[in-house]
Order: sequence, then C-alpha cells, then structure tokens
Amino acid sequence: MLTGGASGYAAIHSRVRVMYSELLAPQDGASLRDTADLNSLLESLKNTVYGPYLNRVEDKELTPRRAVSEIKSRTADIYLTVIHSAPARTRPVLIQLFRHFEIDNLKAVLRGIMTNSSWERVRDTLFPLGSLTLIPAQQMLEAGNVEAAVTLISATPYYDTISHAMKRYADEQSLFPLEVALDLDYWRKLWTTVKQLPGQDRTQALRIIGPLLDMNNLMWAMRYRVYHRLSEEEIINYTLPFGYHMRDEDIRAIAAGANIARVIERLYPGISNVEALLQEPEQGLPKLELQLQRFVRRQFNSVFTGYPFHIGLPLALVALSEFEIQDLTVLIEAKSAHMPNEKFTPYLLMGTNPDNIAT
Amino acid sequence: MFFPQAMTEMELIVPEKDLLQVTSILAGQGIFHQVDASYLSSNNNVKSNDSWKDRAAAYSSLERQILITMQALSIEAGSPPPADQSAMIKLEAVRPLAEQIEQDVKDSNNQLTASQKKLEQLQNYIRQLLPIADIDLDISLLHNPRYLLSILGIMPVVNLERLQTSLARIPYVLLTLQKDRENAVVWLTGSKRNTDILERAARSAYLNPFDLTDVHHGTPAEIIKSLNMDIESLQESIRKQKARIAQLHSSYEHQLQTLLWRVRSSRLLADAMAHYGKLQFTYLIVGWVPSSKTEALTQQLKQASGNILVDATPLIRQGQANQNVPVALQNPGILGAFQQLVTTYARPRYEEIDPTILMTLTFPLLFGAMFGDVGQGLLLAILGWLIASRKIRALQSLASLGTIIAVCGLAAILFGFLYGSMFGSEEVFKPIWIAPLQNITKILAIAIGAGIIILSLGYLLNIVNAWRARDWGRLIFDHHGIVGLTLYWSLLGLGAASVIKGFPLPPLVFTALAILAGLAVMFSEPLKHLAERHRPLIEGGLGTYIIQAIVELFENLISLLSNSLSYVRVGAFAVAHGGLSAVIFILANLVSPDHGAGYWIVVVIGNIFIVGFEGLIVGIQTMRLEYYEFFSKFFIGGGVPYIPLNPVPSGEK
Repeated sequence: MLTGGASGYAAIHSRVRVMYSELLAPQDGASLRDTADLNSLLESLKNTVYGPYLNRVEDKELTPRRAVSEIKSRTADIYLTVIHSAPARTRPVLIQLFRHFEIDNLKAVLRGIMTNSSWERVRDTLFPLGSLTLIPAQQMLEAGNVEAAVTLISATPYYDTISHAMKRYADEQSLFPLEVALDLDYWRKLWTTVKQLPGQDRTQALRIIGPLLDMNNLMWAMRYRVYHRLSEEEIINYTLPFGYHMRDEDIRAIAAGANIARVIERLYPGISNVEALLQEPEQGLPKLELQLQRFVRRQFNSVFTGYPFHIGLPLALVALSEFEIQDLTVLIEAKSAHMPNEKFTPYLLMGTNPDNIAT
Repeated sequence: MFFPQAMTEMELIVPEKDLLQVTSILAGQGIFHQVDASYLSSNNNVKSNDSWKDRAAAYSSLERQILITMQALSIEAGSPPPADQSAMIKLEAVRPLAEQIEQDVKDSNNQLTASQKKLEQLQNYIRQLLPIADIDLDISLLHNPRYLLSILGIMPVVNLERLQTSLARIPYVLLTLQKDRENAVVWLTGSKRNTDILERAARSAYLNPFDLTDVHHGTPAEIIKSLNMDIESLQESIRKQKARIAQLHSSYEHQLQTLLWRVRSSRLLADAMAHYGKLQFTYLIVGWVPSSKTEALTQQLKQASGNILVDATPLIRQGQANQNVPVALQNPGILGAFQQLVTTYARPRYEEIDPTILMTLTFPLLFGAMFGDVGQGLLLAILGWLIASRKIRALQSLASLGTIIAVCGLAAILFGFLYGSMFGSEEVFKPIWIAPLQNITKILAIAIGAGIIILSLGYLLNIVNAWRARDWGRLIFDHHGIVGLTLYWSLLGLGAASVIKGFPLPPLVFTALAILAGLAVMFSEPLKHLAERHRPLIEGGLGTYIIQAIVELFENLISLLSNSLSYVRVGAFAVAHGGLSAVIFILANLVSPDHGAGYWIVVVIGNIFIVGFEGLIVGIQTMRLEYYEFFSKFFIGGGVPYIPLNPVPSGEK
C-alpha cells in the first residue's frame, strides 16, 4: 500500500490544500462583483491568483474573450498539477474528467465549421489545452467541412463515437447527434473509470462525479422534454441509465411525462419553485441549473472536512475551480456589456446573497 | 581562427528605383547580415513598407500553393536550380502557370479520391453483409412488407440496452446478428403501426440502417458477389487514375521544383525589403558584413546604383558595446564538428576568444587519456568515420558527431600505444609510456597536473578576454581574473614548497601572496566597483557584505580544490578502463579456460560493451570537463549568430 492512503496522498493533499485556499473567497467575489467596469474588474483580478495569467497579455489586447481564455488556463494548470501528483491508479479518472474540455473544444470547432467562422474567432473560444490536446483544431476548421474534419481525428478516442453519428449528420445536417453522442460517451467512460477505482477512492469519487452526472443527466432529460420536445424513446436514448442518487426510473418517468418537480424535490431537497421555473423554460431551465449547481457546490465544499487522504479532494478542487471560472466568465461578460449588478448577480454561484439567488 | 571575423556595419541609402538591384546584389553575395530598420518608416511619418510585406505574403501564399500541389504529386522540393536566384519573379507571370498545374492535379486527384471513397464504401457494404452472409433470404424483401417495419443495420454495442428500454412500451423484436467490442449488427422489427416510435428509437440509439438494399437485390451472398465484381472494375479504374497522376508527376516535376525555388527566393527578397527603413524617397538598409569583404561589396553596390550612399563603419573589437554584432566564426571546415560542440555551449561574443581550436585539441586528448586502447580506439575511429561519411543511413543526421567520434578514436589509439593496451589486453605489446593499472598513484597525479595546466589556461584566457573587453574590474578582481589566478598559483606554490624539498621559494612567500590574493577575492565586488567608478561600493550593509564575502572566499577555495581534483577522473578512468578490461578476460577464462570459442565470444562481447558503454560515459565526462571546468573560467558567450541574407537559405540548400 505504498501509493495508497496517507502515504500516496501526502504530496497531492498538500498541493490541493494550497490550491483550495487560493480559490476566491466570498468577500473576493463580492468585491469583484462591485467593481465599476470591466477594466477595474480585470485590474482587481490581476491582484488574485489569476494575475499571472492575465498579465501574460498586454492590456490593449485583453478583450473580454481573451481574458476568459487566460483565466481558464488556471483551471488547466490545476488539472495538470493534480493529474501529475495523483496516485497512478486514480489518474484515469482525473484524465477522463479533464477530457470534457477537449470535447467542448471539439464541439466548438465543429460549430465553427458549420458557421464558417475564422480560426481567430474559434481559437478564442477554445479551452487552452496546449500540448495536451489530441485534436488538430486549426486543421479541422480549415478542412472546411465536418466530414473532412472528422477524418483528421481518426487517431483519437472520439473518432469511433463520432463516426457512429456521422450518418445522422449527413442526413440531418445538424451537429446535435454528434454532440449528444460525444457527451454520452464521455460520461459513460467517466463512470466506468470511477467504478474501477478501489475502496475509499471509489466511494469518494462517486461522491463528486455522481452528483455531477446526476445533474447533467437530469438537465438533459428536462431540456429534451421541455425545450426540444423530444419523444419518450429519444429522451431515453439520449440519457444515461445510471447515476448516483438518480435512478433510471426517474429518467424514464420524466421521459414518459411524469411530474419533473417531484423527481427534483426527491433528489435535491431544499430546491423549490421548480414548477414555476418550468412554466417558462427559456429562463427557468438555466435558473434551475444554477440552483442545482449551488447545491452540488455546497456538497463539494463539504468534502474538505473529514478524512482527507483520498481522490475526493482533488476531484472536488477541480470541480470547484470550474465553478469559479464559470462565475468569472459571467462577471467579465456582464461587465463588458455594462450590465447593472442586480441583473447578473443572480447568475453567480459565489459570493451571492441568498436573497439574490435566481429563482 | 582564434576570434570571430572582424565585422563592418553598413548603412546604405538607396533610391527606390535601384532597390531591387541592390537587394539582389546583397542577397546574391550571401554575406550581408540584415538588421531590421523597418521601425524607421513609422517614425518618419512616411508610407511604411506594407507593400513589400504584402508582396512577401503573396509569394508565401503562392509558395504554399505550389508545395501543396507538389505534395499531391509526391514531388520533393529538391535542391535549388543553378540559375541566378537573386532576381525576383513577377507574381502575375507565374501564378497562372501554378494555377493551371494545380487545377490539373486537383482534377485527377479528386477523381482518384472519389473512386477510392466509392471503393471503401463497397468494401464497407461487404463488411456489413459478412455477418449475415449465410442467411438464405432476399434481404430486399425486408424493405416493403405489408405489416412489419424492418431495420437491418449496425449500432454501438453500448446503446443496445438503452434501445430496448426505449421500446419497452411497444411490441418489437431486436435480434443481434453479430457483435464485437464496439459494434453490433442488429435486425429490429415491429408493427408498422409503430413505425414512428421504432424509427425514432433506432435513430436516437444511432442504429445506422444498411443502405445497400436499394441498389442490390438477392441474398447477402449474392449481393456480396455482385459487390465484388463492382470492386474489381473500380480497382481497374483506380489503377488508370494512378497512372495518370504518375504521368503528371514526371511531366511537372522539374517545372514545379524550378517554380518553387524561384518563388521561394522572391519571397525571401520581398521579406528582406519589408525590413528596410522607408525614408521620404529612399530606403535605408542596415546590416553587417565581414570587414574583409566590405570593399568588394561596396564596389558592386556602387556599380549597380549610381546614387547609392554607402556608410561602412568597421567595428573595433575591444570594448563591451559589441553585444549586437553578429558573430561569424572562421574555423576551417575540418573543425566544424568541434565548433558545433562549442556553439552548443554558447556562441562566443564578438570580442571573445573563439575556443573551437582549444576544444579541438583538448577534447580528444582528454577522451583518449581516459579511453586509451589501440583496438577499441580503432573501432571507434572506424565507427566515427562511417557516421561522418554518411554511409550509415540511419545515422546520417549525426555526421558531425561522427567526426568527433573518429578523432576521439584516433586519440584513443595514440594513448593505447602509450598505455600498452590492445582490446583490453596489456600483454600484446609493452606500453611506450605507462601502464595505468600498474601505476595508479602516478597516473592520478599526472591527471591532476594536466588539470592544473588546463585550468590555468582557462584563467589566462579569461584575463585576455577581459583585457579585450576593456573590462578592468573583471580583468583584475574577478574570481577568474588576475587575483583569482594569483590565489590559485600561490596555493599551488605553497603546496609544492611544503612538500618538495629544496623548492626555490620559501612557503612564506606563497602564504603572503595567498593572503593578499584571498583578501582581493574576498573584496572583489567593491574593488571592481572602485575600478569601474560604480557607486555605492557595497550594496546593502557592511556586516552582511563581510559575511557574504567570507562565504564566497570559502566557496572559491573549495572550487579551486574541487576543480583541480575534478581532473583526477581522467586518470581514474584510465585505471578503470584497464580494470574493466581485466574483468572481461577473467570472465572469458571462467567461461572457457582452454581459450575456446566461448572465451573469444566473451572477449568480443566485452569489448563491444566497453566501446559502447564506457565510450559513452567517457564522452560525457570529457564534455563535463570542457564545459564545466574549462569553459566556465573564461567563456561568457551569448553572441548573435551571423545569418547572411541569401535567396536560398542555408537550411534549404
């Protein structure tokens, strides 16, 4: 047991603790939120752990999009640190979790092809994976069409998944089947790698990945039903039959038209107003998703108390870091659009007054 | 040979009309190291060089277009044609030709690609049908039955279970005909009344129906037979298309290569002109030329342009303001490999001594002293020669390393004779000089002595470099300057006077010198500041400085000792080499005491091991002695590489 328990996690634990302490505190969030404009926000961010990333770019080139791209680099660095210092047996989980950035990049490139976007435009939307990326994003975009672009990733783990969906793409000329196939494959693989972990690591990884998977699966089912108005069989095929607290029966019930609010209330005690939110799905679903995210965010913070030598802490850290980036993205976009505080504050996860929470 | 070539800074003011001709001469000579002067354009409120930048971009785009066409025809860039490369070609003149060839190639390639795609599709059909090849049923009948909907197709295995769940509310049959790790060939059927549900479920589970039933009829076996016939005719067509492309290859090869090099050189010239400074009606060209070639170049430029203004300023080598001067090393070609070893460490500065010749002398000597063996040295020399002469295809890129190996091999042969060692045996002939294994103390002492000489040389070279840089502080007070050398020599003298009876000078003299030099080393920083008139003399507090100075002196003394003793490894490796060889002969005797085949096998394998393993270690140790012990005494480096303007860049020659 040289690489297990306290001995295996001693090094990573201290690193994770340091990085956890570097996450923005609620008062930091509040002061960032109260900055006068985008420039003041960026200046304030330069005094945080995001400073070195933002300082890499000259002020005149620091557009909102560029700023978001730079701060995302911090999450990439956190992932890299965690992956490199984690015990070998747990790395597959971290690596697979990290892959969702690449899947998002892949989707962004395919969308760029569909909309004839320039490389410069697409590049700024990509998560900065550097040399870790498996996909030749620029070449794909320059290939000019989705079929040719997909052949360029034939050596990656995404090819088989996408190739199953290519016939549907050819028939429908929509990226929807490709994106759904990629998402399902990602979560299936992540769940399998988590299940392969031994003992305490498995339990703790399920504590983090499980709620994320439940939340995603639930949001998919709701979106497909309420938003896209898909049929029962399509909803079932586009969702996952497993979860942490969520059961396949829940998904099937939602697909069959059962009351969504009851399912959510059972899974997420404390979340209310679901009925009202679903009345106006356009605004309601994003707000509901925020509430679910706040719920899991609280759970992830609680992982940092108790026995610390397991994979749960690193996983919680990277998940919390992603939530933080999400908040900072909202802030940067809101400030660049000169939005008043009361308009965007409900969409923040951190440093929010419970009264302002989007409901 | 001991210093980089003397350089002259040239500033040319050229009328716009003569610009192309002047650039052609500068590029054609291959001696002009250009300095970017384009920033002058924006400073003088005149139209910038954007047009040249645009032209360079246009040439670059055409070059890429030609390269893509060449790639499609599998044509290599080849070597540049002998014709004059320093003239620019007109884009309008060559673009139509490039486009016409591109179109020709594209058409043929597109046809080939379409045929190959079709072939792949047919082969894919066969692959799909193989799992059900033994079903004796016309599968086109599945298409339009009266009451049933049938979907025969392939889907991801992971979706099978979900598909069944999604169909739970209707009656259906899902048969898995074949399954591997990824895919499953399935037949889904159900009532036509549930067509919508079945189709939606199949589609959302990524069940891709086989689409061959529309065009082929019969049993799977019959369809496979028909597909095979189609494949045969398609393969014949692909053969013809490939022949056509081969024909295009031979007819366009020369044309495309010539075009590529002309466009490439034009791109480089345009790019050079984009870095000129644009004045009101003239251009300013700035750069460096080896002083020996300035006169001839000036004459040529004046012949080409009657109105050109040439300002040539030869650079005095001394002084410290030479850091931006390009450094052109001037060593004979035979020393190229050792020059590469030097530049791997650092490129000498303009005013610095180029240590290539010293490296060429000391590197093989140190290597040979550690690896002295006639037979093994010969093997190394042959191996090095094979690599250097590029006869070993896989090692062609290491040709310069081959030269070093060959020279080191020769040095090992020389020392092999001196040590009396032949393939590890010390019984073949008597040593001319010394047998390391029998004279361990002596060989170690000689090694340290040689080290002291090399280190002293390093100190002296630093003093010369400091003198040339007019860096008086470094010259006198540097740890490797005059006081450093005095400290080193006085400590050596003190040691010698204490040990050797009848030494001409008493130890007291060396003690006094060592104390004085030690104090100077200790206070080298304020003394340097004093010499350079730099204030304050001491940064920070005096107390802190004194502690720091004591520690530095201590560190310096330790370094002197460790640097000198570091050379003991030369003797130690010579001894270890003898020891390792002896072990091989002991092992060989154990395997075959009567000197049979086993004995010789062990001897051969052992020698190969020594040549490969020990040779590598000795090489690394030699490199360490050169870089760390020797170069660090005098060599600062950081010179700018001399890259003359050339329409055919050296990397592409």
